[in-house]
Amino acid sequence: MKLRISKDALVPIGSVLVALGIGAVLIAAQGHSPLVAYKVLLIKGFSSVAGLQETLSKAGILIMSGLAITVGLRAGLFNIGAQGQVITGALAFTFIGYKVQGLPAPIHILVALIFAIIVSSLLGAFVGFLKASRGVHEVISTIMLNSIMAGIVDYLAQNQLKQPGQPNTRTPDILASARLPHLFGWPIGFAIAIALAFALSWVLKRTTTGFELETVGRNRAAAWYAGISVKKSIVLGMMLSAAIAGFTGGIYSSETTGYFVPAFYSGIGFDGITIALLGRANPIALIPGAIFIGGMRSAQSAIQFESGVAPDIINLLLALVLFFATAPFLAKLLKSNAKSVTTTSGWSS
Amino acid sequence: MRKIRNYTIAAVLLAVWIFGYVLDSGITNSVLSSGLRFGMPLALAAMVGIMCERSGVINIGIEGTMLLSGFFGFYAGVYTKNVLIGFAAAIIAGITASFLHAMMTIVWKMDQIIAGTIINILASGLTSFLYVAGVTIPNNWPIFDIPVLSKLPLVGESFFSQQGPIQYLGLIFIPFIWIMMYKTRWGLRTRSIGENPGSADTAGVSVIRMRITNVVLGGAIGGLVGGFICLELVGSFSKEFTAGAGFTALALMIFGRWNPLGAFAAAIAFGLAQALSTQLQIFGVQEIPQQFINILPYVFTIAVLAFSAGKVRPPAAAGAPYEKEKA
Amino acid sequence: MKKRLIAGVGALSLAVLGFAMPSSVAAADDSKCADAAVLCIGVVTDIGHVDDKSFNQAAWEGAQAGAKAAGGVANYIESSAAADTEYAKNIKLFADKKYDVIVTVGFLEANATLAAAKQYPDIKFIGVDQFVSDAPANLAGLNFYEDRAGFVAGYLAGYLTKTGKTGAVVGLNIPPVYRFAEGFKNGVAHSAAEQGKKFAKTKIVYHPAADNAFNDPAFGAANAAQMLSQGYDVIFAAGGNTGNGGLTRIAKAKGKYCIGVDVDQWNTVKEARPCLVTSAMKNIAAGVAEQVGLVKSGKFAGGNVYGTTAIAPFHAFAKKIPASVQKKVAKLQKDVNAGIVKTGVK
Repeated sequence: MKLRISKDALVPIGSVLVALGIGAVLIAAQGHSPLVAYKVLLIKGFSSVAGLQETLSKAGILIMSGLAITVGLRAGLFNIGAQGQVITGALAFTFIGYKVQGLPAPIHILVALIFAIIVSSLLGAFVGFLKASRGVHEVISTIMLNSIMAGIVDYLAQNQLKQPGQPNTRTPDILASARLPHLFGWPIGFAIAIALAFALSWVLKRTTTGFELETVGRNRAAAWYAGISVKKSIVLGMMLSAAIAGFTGGIYSSETTGYFVPAFYSGIGFDGITIALLGRANPIALIPGAIFIGGMRSAQSAIQFESGVAPDIINLLLALVLFFATAPFLAKLLKSNAKSVTTTSGWSS
Repeated sequence: MRKIRNYTIAAVLLAVWIFGYVLDSGITNSVLSSGLRFGMPLALAAMVGIMCERSGVINIGIEGTMLLSGFFGFYAGVYTKNVLIGFAAAIIAGITASFLHAMMTIVWKMDQIIAGTIINILASGLTSFLYVAGVTIPNNWPIFDIPVLSKLPLVGESFFSQQGPIQYLGLIFIPFIWIMMYKTRWGLRTRSIGENPGSADTAGVSVIRMRITNVVLGGAIGGLVGGFICLELVGSFSKEFTAGAGFTALALMIFGRWNPLGAFAAAIAFGLAQALSTQLQIFGVQEIPQQFINILPYVFTIAVLAFSAGKVRPPAAAGAPYEKEKA
Repeated sequence: MKKRLIAGVGALSLAVLGFAMPSSVAAADDSKCADAAVLCIGVVTDIGHVDDKSFNQAAWEGAQAGAKAAGGVANYIESSAAADTEYAKNIKLFADKKYDVIVTVGFLEANATLAAAKQYPDIKFIGVDQFVSDAPANLAGLNFYEDRAGFVAGYLAGYLTKTGKTGAVVGLNIPPVYRFAEGFKNGVAHSAAEQGKKFAKTKIVYHPAADNAFNDPAFGAANAAQMLSQGYDVIFAAGGNTGNGGLTRIAKAKGKYCIGVDVDQWNTVKEARPCLVTSAMKNIAAGVAEQVGLVKSGKFAGGNVYGTTAIAPFHAFAKKIPASVQKKVAKLQKDVNAGIVKTGVK
């Protein structure tokens, strides 16, 4: 399978260059050296074995989070509330991870992941049902659910699921049998993420269900005429999206955090939105972007220490890249024919 | 049928209000007053959504618009030591952000929801990077009572006392928008480009220009809200201070059927839900965990949307970019 | 085309306003840290910033003071994400440069600090707000009896209130915050008993669980306003920036009292001065500086250490509070710190 490097790749690369340029101007205006800052930002995550391992670890999570949003986008759904699903899945995974004893390693992880997926896809089903039958737009319901799940999860982590003897809000540690091992230090989560990306791409392109989801996403009326159950696709799309988000939370707990504290999961859901949009809702295309961003995020804390620039520069650069990559004028400049991403065309149905 | 249901709901609410007032006027007034205080920024943010959607443009970027205007308004106020200049800067920031949104959705015909999300991400990235801590603005505006009205029996203390200028302004501004929307030619034209832009175009309305204008006007209102929160209500800027208010405003807009007065009522209801949940904590209700009390407003919003949204009809052309038909 | 140009310029000019913003702090020179004679102190903050007017800032100031006294160097890294791997990475950045003391701020960093203390036995670790158990000798947990400061503040509140209604608007329900609030409540009750009066129980409102629990001034302001409108005239606002919102709102109401937290907020939240009679402080800066001093003199011992708590000076309110009350408060402060009077908060 040969990889076509189409003109479509020019747009993301061009956007990155423009964003870096604007960022350099701002950094210089603050009195720091853009070169030093960019050296840390862009090189540090890739220049040492430890750095690369950290980058891939973060990239894996970004990929999965991006896939969650992507699957939704393909079906015409904007799952902006992935964050709530991520923490729900993470807590669910952690619960099985510390509570169930006596299971050998691969099975324990599997069982915990399945539980995480079930719980979060229930959330997705709820959102999908509200949309399919009552016309409640998923942007609204998922944002509300973010706050609701945050409250419920915090309550559980402080009460039923709290580590005894510890005054602070945290669960007990996940048992070793539920922790994803590192292969000589290399994160397995990254490999899982890549596999998931290809699996999803295959499902969307080659299976009937995938075709139905995509058709509903592209043109709901046409799908209806073709006999596809739009309502079923909406519920299924949301369930899938939420399931992947919950899965992401579970993997992150297993591979990185090792126990559940609400604060440890900030930002995963929202980074996924950026990644998905940058990848133009294409499961494979978001991989390079995720690796690039993973590299920046792993260098995030060191930036201020080594160059004086506030770590928020990354958020700003990402925002600029996203803007220039999706606003069609840059695409027109580079004469690319890349299709732009669309979601639903309205609030109702 | 709908009218009877609405009147019944209004009557029940009025009865509850009077009951509470008789039971303990102090607490009832305090809760209502808080409801207005929590709800007014949301109501004004919902106005932004209405302005845009009635014209046919979905605006998810209200959150980012408020964030940007709060940021620029606050820092302008800090560095010029003048709160009024701060407000002006906030409004300008709001106009700029919404102009960008208009460009993206109307001229470049991007997907409207994605365009709004991009505004939010840009706002978040820009404001968190440029953030400077530890600065303060000169005296905030005072809170005060309205002379005659605050002495009125039932409503005086709850709505016309101890609020800031924006609450009072909002009470005038929101009916003003309603009048504009339903009783003027501008309003008719606006609604027409949102329902059936093709016919409006044939009738001579400049769809593109009007959409851009309305989105920008909406942005000015958004700028006012953001500026208000940072310059007056709270008196400081914190990263991500909007905390989802822009999205809540959209829910309220839908809840209120894209009608300014409806959205206002929805916003006050939401504000009341929050005030009630605080009141429950003040009462020291121990049986319900504090986390659950605090999520009540969100549960309430989803519940209401779930039960009412099915029959909701947004402006028919909202969400689709306007393409001029080739004759 | 022209429209696009305008839009682009418009968007960029928003960005270019960054020119007006001052720059951030540059790191102090730490090239000589490997030298045993040079004491290098690194502070790893939690997701807040060192200028957050709250405990990250206090820890940083303590480290700087300690560095100055020891003739050493202090630097900080602000953790950009909350996760043990992040904290471990940041600690490693200091450890690789041979820093001698590493201060980690907040209980979220407890795990990572313990692991690092075991991994780097030659580096001294100070964990602010971290209760350590079975810790190696190079790890000290700097804790505070927040309830004591809250108690004294509550006692004062009992003498200031005219309506008998006192309240607290606080951040997330975590142990330090809980101790402050409960201590305050018990202090009010103690004061009431002493005066032979009957007060309503202090009402405490916690912020819901959310990413912005300590950064939601609108919540603090709105809840404070709601309490004020129900006759509460002394309100304790404890919760980082959330509390600050409450303080500024109470300042706008005439004749009410507000009480700050963590540091003397008279200096950090100037808009609150009209109502800010005192603050319930935990002397993080002093605690950190003291521990650094112990490292320098070789007397550093691991385990849990308890820093001091106190209430801040009354500043402009000193004229308004009767001398007899001030004497009583001062005496109570001594008794509580000595353990003679119990706060009743476990």
